[in-house]
Amino acid sequence: MKACIVVYPGSNCDRDVYHALKYVGVDVDYVGLDDSLDGCDLVVLPGGFSYGDYLRPGAVAAREKISHEVRRAADRGKLILGICNGFQILIEMGLLPGALLRNSSGRFVSKWVRLIVEDVDTPFTRNFKSREVIKLPVAHGYGRYFKTDSAIRVVFKYMDDVNGSDDMIAAVTTEDGRILGMMPHPERAYEKLLGGEDGLKLFTSVVEYLRRNAS
Amino acid sequence: MSKYRFAIDVQFKSSVRDPRGETIERVLRTEKGLPIYHLRLGKSIHLEVEAENEVEATRIVHQACEDLLVNPVVEEYEVRTL
Repeated sequence: MKACIVVYPGSNCDRDVYHALKYVGVDVDYVGLDDSLDGCDLVVLPGGFSYGDYLRPGAVAAREKISHEVRRAADRGKLILGICNGFQILIEMGLLPGALLRNSSGRFVSKWVRLIVEDVDTPFTRNFKSREVIKLPVAHGYGRYFKTDSAIRVVFKYMDDVNGSDDMIAAVTTEDGRILGMMPHPERAYEKLLGGEDGLKLFTSVVEYLRRNAS
Repeated sequence: MSKYRFAIDVQFKSSVRDPRGETIERVLRTEKGLPIYHLRLGKSIHLEVEAENEVEATRIVHQACEDLLVNPVVEEYEVRTL
């Protein structure tokens, strides 16, 4: 079982994700723009400001060669997790529907927020309880989810209005649950030392899922 | 081959909220006392295309818009020659 973290120019949560995955016992590699994702069971697009958010957050990164590799991995049914800027990149790639726009307040928001776990039937959320309330940090200027697909599977919702997202949506997934995009940062909340450990269940969920399905 | 210059105006669709535009509009109205409404802050992209003729150059600009410069989910655009 191997996880790959895609490091774009401007990614800055790559090492946090690395430590979170190591913490739950996963073999992790960083991959760059010209690398391959062959052999990866889980691909993580971390947070940050790829290409300085030029044009639109995630727009340039979504068109890089490595992003075509991400698309190929998705086509092969691999698990894909996009956090914050990674979520923005997945949307720009068209792997998830909708758009992520500037927060309705016009301000960058960096704080711990309460979330409701709406969907526990995905490889990423199977260890949560349905409708469980958890706390995770957010840190984004472009997190307002603009919904275009009324049938979208919502995985996490904000309990309080954080950024003006449609239906308070904080995370969405594909029909098969294998591609998850989320604005909150589970990798900043996987042990008590970080101020909270509600993000840990996301990582243990995905690890247990991959172990169970390892060929 | 010739070079053709274009300006692309990118604007949010009217259904999409534009908090930056709203803030600028509010300041102009309440702080500067100007009767300004419905301000929308978009972007303007200027570029040069190398092509056989203007029709081909225009086609290339539209392709650039569709491939990267514009997000059709929330934005619309207009192309003008410079």
